[in-house]
Order: sequence, then C-alpha cells, then structure tokens
Amino acid sequence: MKPQSRFYIGKGGVGKSTTSAITAVHLARNSRDILLVSMDPAHNQRDIFQQDFSEKTRQVNDYLAVKEVDVDYWIEKYLKDTEKTIKRTYSYESAFNLQNYFNVLQFSPGLEEYALLLAFENIIHTFEDKDVIIFDMAPTALALRFFSLPFITLIWLEELLKLREKIYAKKEIISEIKVGRKTIEQDKVKAKLEILIEEYGHLGDHFTSGATRISLVMNNDKLSFSEAFRIKKKLMDIGINIESVLVNKSESRVIPDEIRHEFNNQKIALFPFSSKNILGYQAINEYLDENSEIFAEIQ
Amino acid sequence: MMPVLKTIKEKIVSAFNVADDVMRGKAVETIAYEVGELDNIFAILVLGAFIGIPSPPIHITMELLPVMEKELGIMLEKVSTAHDPLGDLFSVLGID
Repeated sequence: MKPQSRFYIGKGGVGKSTTSAITAVHLARNSRDILLVSMDPAHNQRDIFQQDFSEKTRQVNDYLAVKEVDVDYWIEKYLKDTEKTIKRTYSYESAFNLQNYFNVLQFSPGLEEYALLLAFENIIHTFEDKDVIIFDMAPTALALRFFSLPFITLIWLEELLKLREKIYAKKEIISEIKVGRKTIEQDKVKAKLEILIEEYGHLGDHFTSGATRISLVMNNDKLSFSEAFRIKKKLMDIGINIESVLVNKSESRVIPDEIRHEFNNQKIALFPFSSKNILGYQAINEYLDENSEIFAEIQ
Repeated sequence: MMPVLKTIKEKIVSAFNVADDVMRGKAVETIAYEVGELDNIFAILVLGAFIGIPSPPIHITMELLPVMEKELGIMLEKVSTAHDPLGDLFSVLGID
C-alpha cells in the first residue's frame, strides 16, 4: 500500500505551513508515521519548528520527520544527469558543442516546477514505508503549475509521438521500396516518447487517484475566498478534486455559509485562531491540547 | 557456359541491378526529402530553443535531447544552408 500524499495549497500567507505542521504533529501523536515535506522554495517549516531542516530528512520525534526540498539541488542534479547521458550517447564533437547551452539551461523558465516534480517522484518512491506524506506547497501560481505539469507534458508528448509515427511510417516505405522489406532500426526518439508518455500518465493518475488528497487552506476573508474558489476551478479543469478545506485563524466555531455553500462536496475543518505565536514543537503541541475536540475529528 | 557469354550475362545483370537501384532511388527521392523535412520540423519543435524558436516545456527538450543527435545535426545543417532553401528543393524536384 502506497503512502497517502496530502497537499496543502492556498493563497500566500493563509497558513499552509502552519496548518500542515499542526496536522503533521497531530497525526504523529496518533502513532502514524509521517513525513512533512516543505515544497515552498521560501521554506517556513524551519521557523515554525524552530529547527534547521534541509534536503536531508530530519526526525522531529519517533513518528514525525521533516524535509525541505532544495529546488536548486534538483535542477543541478537533473542537468548533470542529462549532460552525462549526452556525453555517453553523442559523438565527442556534438557533445562538446552543447556544453555552452547547459550553462544557460539552469535559468530556463519551467525548470522550477519540474524540479519539484522530480523531488516529488523521488520522495514517494523513497518513503514508501510512511503512512502519510504531507506536502506543504508553494503559493498558488507555482503549486498550480506543478499540478498541471504532467497533463500539459502529456499533450505535448502525444502530439510529438503522432508526428514521430508519421516519420517512422514513411521511413518504412522507403526501406520497403529500396531493399524490399521493412528493416529500419528502432526509432530511439519514438521509444523514448512512449516511455515518457507512460511515466507522465502514471504521475497524472497519481494526482487524480485516491492516493493524493488536496487540502485547500484559506482564511475567512474575501481575498482568500476568491483565490480558493479559483484554485478549486483550476484543479477541477485538470481532473484533480479538493478533498478538504481548512479555514485557518478562524475566530468562530461555526463554518461560514459562503464557504459551506461553495465547498459543499468537501470536508471543512476550522483551525481556531490562536492569540499566541505557534512557534516551536512545544507550541504546536500546546495548540493541539487546547483544541483537542476539533482535532479528534481530523484523521 | 562459355566465359564470354558468362561475362556478358554478368554485365547485363550488373547493369540491370544498377538501373534497379537508380529507379528505386528515384522512386523514393521525393518521399525521402519529405522525411528529411519532417525530421527537421520535429527537431525545430523539440529543439527550437537552440535556434531561437519557442519550444515545448524545457524538460521535454531535455528528456529527448540525448536521443536526438541525428536530428540536431540535421537542424543545424539546415540552418547553415538556410540562405538557399529553394536550391535544395529544386535539386530534388529536378528543376534546373
């Protein structure tokens, strides 16, 4: 059984990091093996837990580990791996001529969300033994690009494969007329495209399957509500459903009508406002103790 | 068979083979040119960033680049002969 992936998304500043940290500690207190991953390039978990985290996983207690995804590390690793493959498959001269491009590629737009996707794939394969992996996501724009990346990539790959198949069929005709039979070497590009389509298909399925749960974090204010509504719509367009809505810093114990009406298919949880700063592992535990009735329902 | 007749037969077979090769070559010349162009279009789509044309998300370029040495070569060659595109086409179509 694969671990469940829970993503905390929402507008910048609504408390994605705080709610994900509180949930992670809450689940760990219930003896569930949790990995909390910060996917926001501007990491906050180190400030919330008042501990240094990095790409290397660090145990906070027996059931809770925290990790920060280092986007630059993943971009650099990916470029180096590609460069190595090119040096292996290309002639020396061609590989040498490409050298300069690699120095520029690390600054290409789109690599940031791809690096997050690489890190995500690595995490779900490396931490298969965890019960739940909680991803504290970057603010809306980057998070939406991250979720839509497999689907956009698939559109490109499928169109490229169609063109490649057309080229391959014509090469077969040439071979048949010239030498009397269809003997052309396997098209490496076509084979690679087919592999990539399978990989991105799996990734897309992972996002839309029950293994992925999206929690939309918001505050009870107009701006946050409008953005939450847009996030819901954008995710629905790519077939991803929001499982729950977390209203953070809630001063009331009653779910506002507007939120209940808009998110009638989602579980809604209220994270009560705290007059104290929730900073440090101890403070998170105190917050959970103070609101134990509410958190008893959160699984 | 007399050696002279054998030689004549071999020459006829050889001439026939040459003619066969030429005809087969002629038959696929246009389609081979089309394949070259399609290869080039494909390369531009995927690797267009190298010659200043918008391309797919950069990670697709990066994933396919290691298996596209030939296409990259074709594209760069096409760029270097881009000053005379019609000359290339006319020579395939046999227009002087």
